[in-house]
Amino acid sequence: MMLSEESVKAIKERAGRYPHRKSAILPALTIACRQLGYVDETVYREISKIIRIPMVEVAEAATFYTMFPKAPRGKYLIQVCHNISCALLGADSLIGYLEQKLGITKGETTPDDLFTLISVECLGSCATAPMMQINEDYYENLTRQKVDDILQDLRSKA
Amino acid sequence: MQGKVGVFVSIGIVMAEQVKKEQAVSGVPMVTATIDGREVTVPKGTTVLEAAREMGIHIPTFCWHPKLKSVGACRMCYVEIERMPKLQVSCATEVMEGMVIQTASEQVLQGRKAVIEFILLNHPLDCPTCDKGGECDLQNHTFAHAVDDSRYSFKKARYTDGTDGTTFDDKRLGPEIVLNRNRCILCYKCVRANKEAFGEYDLGVYERGNIAEINSAPGHEVDNPFSGNLVEICPVGALTNSDWRYKIRVWLTQTTSSICNMTSSGSNILFYKEKNHNKIYRVTSRMNDSIDDGWLPDVSRYGYQIATTEERLKTPLIKKDGKQVEATWDEAMTVIHNRFTEIAEKKGKVCLGGLASPYLDNDSLHSFNKLFRTVFKSNNIDFRSDYRMLPEGADSPYEMLVDQPFTIADIDDSDLIISFGSDLIREHPNEYLRMRKAYNFKRAKVVSINPYAVKSADIAELEVIHSIGRAETVLNGICLAAMEMGLVNNQDLTGKIAPATTAEAASDAGVTEDDLKEVARAISSAKKISFICGEMVSRSIARDTIASALWNLYLLFGFKDKGQMAILPRYANSRGAGSLGLLPSPSDGLRNTLSGLWGCFPESDPNNTDAMLALMRKEEISGFFIIGANPLMLYPDRQFVTDGLERLDFLVACDLFETDTTELADVVLPLSSWAEYDGDYVNLEGKVQHARQAIKPLYQSKPAYEIITMVAEKFGAPLFESIEACRKEVDELLSMTHSTKFPSQFLEVKPCYEDAEEEYPTPLLICDDPHHCGHRTEKSQSLSNFVSEAYIEMSPEKAEKLAVKDGESVRVESPVGKIVVPVRISDCIDNNVVLIPRNFASTQVTSLLMRKRRLDRVKITKVDE
Ligand code: SF4
Ligand code: FES
Ligand code: FES
Repeated sequence: MMLSEESVKAIKERAGRYPHRKSAILPALTIACRQLGYVDETVYREISKIIRIPMVEVAEAATFYTMFPKAPRGKYLIQVCHNISCALLGADSLIGYLEQKLGITKGETTPDDLFTLISVECLGSCATAPMMQINEDYYENLTRQKVDDILQDLRSKA
Repeated sequence: MQGKVGVFVSIGIVMAEQVKKEQAVSGVPMVTATIDGREVTVPKGTTVLEAAREMGIHIPTFCWHPKLKSVGACRMCYVEIERMPKLQVSCATEVMEGMVIQTASEQVLQGRKAVIEFILLNHPLDCPTCDKGGECDLQNHTFAHAVDDSRYSFKKARYTDGTDGTTFDDKRLGPEIVLNRNRCILCYKCVRANKEAFGEYDLGVYERGNIAEINSAPGHEVDNPFSGNLVEICPVGALTNSDWRYKIRVWLTQTTSSICNMTSSGSNILFYKEKNHNKIYRVTSRMNDSIDDGWLPDVSRYGYQIATTEERLKTPLIKKDGKQVEATWDEAMTVIHNRFTEIAEKKGKVCLGGLASPYLDNDSLHSFNKLFRTVFKSNNIDFRSDYRMLPEGADSPYEMLVDQPFTIADIDDSDLIISFGSDLIREHPNEYLRMRKAYNFKRAKVVSINPYAVKSADIAELEVIHSIGRAETVLNGICLAAMEMGLVNNQDLTGKIAPATTAEAASDAGVTEDDLKEVARAISSAKKISFICGEMVSRSIARDTIASALWNLYLLFGFKDKGQMAILPRYANSRGAGSLGLLPSPSDGLRNTLSGLWGCFPESDPNNTDAMLALMRKEEISGFFIIGANPLMLYPDRQFVTDGLERLDFLVACDLFETDTTELADVVLPLSSWAEYDGDYVNLEGKVQHARQAIKPLYQSKPAYEIITMVAEKFGAPLFESIEACRKEVDELLSMTHSTKFPSQFLEVKPCYEDAEEEYPTPLLICDDPHHCGHRTEKSQSLSNFVSEAYIEMSPEKAEKLAVKDGESVRVESPVGKIVVPVRISDCIDNNVVLIPRNFASTQVTSLLMRKRRLDRVKITKVDE
């Protein structure tokens, strides 16, 4: 079992809330991601057994949503918005700066497994562009200075 | 390309045909609209597409399928509706009162053209090397809309997995199916049919937007027993199968309408043969709503390869000095005539017997019957070679239930469907799909009462898994529950059945009292029931006890007014064989008609398969004629059959290929398959269907009818003036009004249990693999691509106890035999039962069985390498 007892319990609890067991797929994937940082075939199989639905249904939903990482990634997933408003306000150079600071290129993970950097479509926070999301938090109106502070802060917490 | 979003948006808008049908009768409001200037009135809920089709107006589609819920994914079916600002998808738009619809306006054509341009963005346009060429919806719609230009000048996106970057992104999804994702237009039909219609989950849609793709379920193959349909319904060449790939272009073939020879419902099929050549290339469905709904189980689709296999018997063979050598038909007939005559003279009494296959057509069966009764004066004749210890007499509770009327299409609008002693997916795949359909479209309640969890768990509201060999006790328990709860008034049953209380019945049968009560409640509250019984009843020597318990249930709940209950016949023409009187002692009515037609009917003792085998052992039957049957492989006591057949003076066996049985024969005759001659077959409903000849008999083979006629002529007793004369007799027999019989009062049912034996603790069930039927299908290359050898199916718990893994071999022993087979672990099987398919000659599973047993029990041990 890749899923912890705690995750299994949480998934079961969520599954009990819906009239159709199938509705529990997304919460289950979210719980799995929270524990493991990603989901894969083994996890699909485990989830399908827990909520008693065919495995293919779990795989379909998981791959449909880009928000579920499909491979292990760093402790912090940095998603920089590269869509129009952010782009106009310098998303590109921000990504460049992050790449330089972290010593990796977009799509990669730092050797200490702390940060994974990717760019994504609009995160719906155009008014505070440029912005990025790290794990579940938004960081807005970004400047290089702010990026330095944020990375510093996360490193110290890790 | 259209993303997956479309799927979610429009589910639920659509009215399925069943619902529509129901409404038309139940007086649901009708709505009137105008389509292309013509008025049409349809029941509320009909889609614009369906209404147009009914008027004969063709609207092009990709993702719509008449038997699936619409999803509106492809947008090809655009129409213009007045007062609606944009084009609408007709497959997912209901007709509303007063709608004015244009299906071919300038705007519509422009819209469709744009859809095609869009679909073609990344399409490889590799039609010259695509198997679908010539019958491709995309090709046809593009042609019809004259889309000959694209504004897209970039490099097309390509899947090139495992290949060299050409369009041949061939990915094998399963034993038969190959996927080319570049050609896929994401109509989702394959995945929808698979899940919705077949309840199979080995195929899915992954990712989204322009990287969305079809693929098998992670870690699985697409190998479900309906998978051939996916290839047939794919509108493009994205899904193809090994059967047909790169073998021939479709325009070089011609089709013949026929029916399949593998299921007892008789799926309607089309043969594709090469023009001017005597070769079949494939089989597709010929949608018949009252039988198959356009879905073919793989056995029906790929079963034709039993005709085209190289392994066919090519000439007659005659045994000389212990070896079968090639001979001419003339020589073979002479030997048959001389030996049969000799034997008859020597014994001086009736000592010939015959066994025909229920796969044969009416003419063949009827002529076989006439040959035996009028020329050989024998009542030693049967068509049932795989049921042990059959009783005789047309009025037994069992025979009466076999004879009950049953209508396949009535399953559709049953609100309660019970499968009892029947693993439908293996025995009656068409009816299995019907049951799923009733569940999908009408939320019919599905109940399974079986000794293991048959495949239907995903839709079954209630699964009553009882101890094996206790079927009648479950039925008694249901009756008792109904009486105890006051669901029925009639109490006459009390005292006729044992045990006397629901609680006792539940504990005897290994089920809970609640289960019994719930089934009783379901039956008593249902309006229309389809109660389907199958092989686990027919094959049991307790068949009459179980049938009596079924009759009690029938009478107690008044089934006569609320549904159908029958033991479904198993083979392509089982029902025909019964109706034509191919039994040792046909009913009085049949017997009278037959003797009227023939001017005589023998008085000799009637003996069925079982009795005939016993007489062979006593050397009282010394000459035997087998046509199409293979008792050695199928009769549930191999030793008994071997003993019998080996003691014969003379055995004639006809089949398509060499079998265990033909090996013992003194004369072997090559039989033509059903594809090689015209024939009529009676399906499980009693419907006579015509199978047309697709090709001429292969090699030197002959249709059964011809062989039988030749034998009769050799005996100087021609059977019919012509085949028409034979058909006239058949018609007369089949048109005899068939009064179905019922017992007039409750029947005694005293359960007959067999004690467990310590040494052989595991009950064994013999079944058909879902990809096979009887002894012939292992010769079909495609079907054996799925499964080509026997296995023992067991639950994960059982496997763990034996410390065996999937694929490892075990030794299976019974008091009379021993075989070694690989293990297949399955979630479906539980309750300690194990299954072994009987379809593979290399594993002589019937050698484990004993004819006088109710339960077959075995001991299983791991084989140490
Ligand atoms: S493979 Fe064929 S049936 Fe399946 S989605 Fe693609 S085009 Fe449609
Ligand atoms: S464009 Fe960046 S948040 Fe919308
Ligand atoms: S959207 Fe109607 S056929 Fe596809």
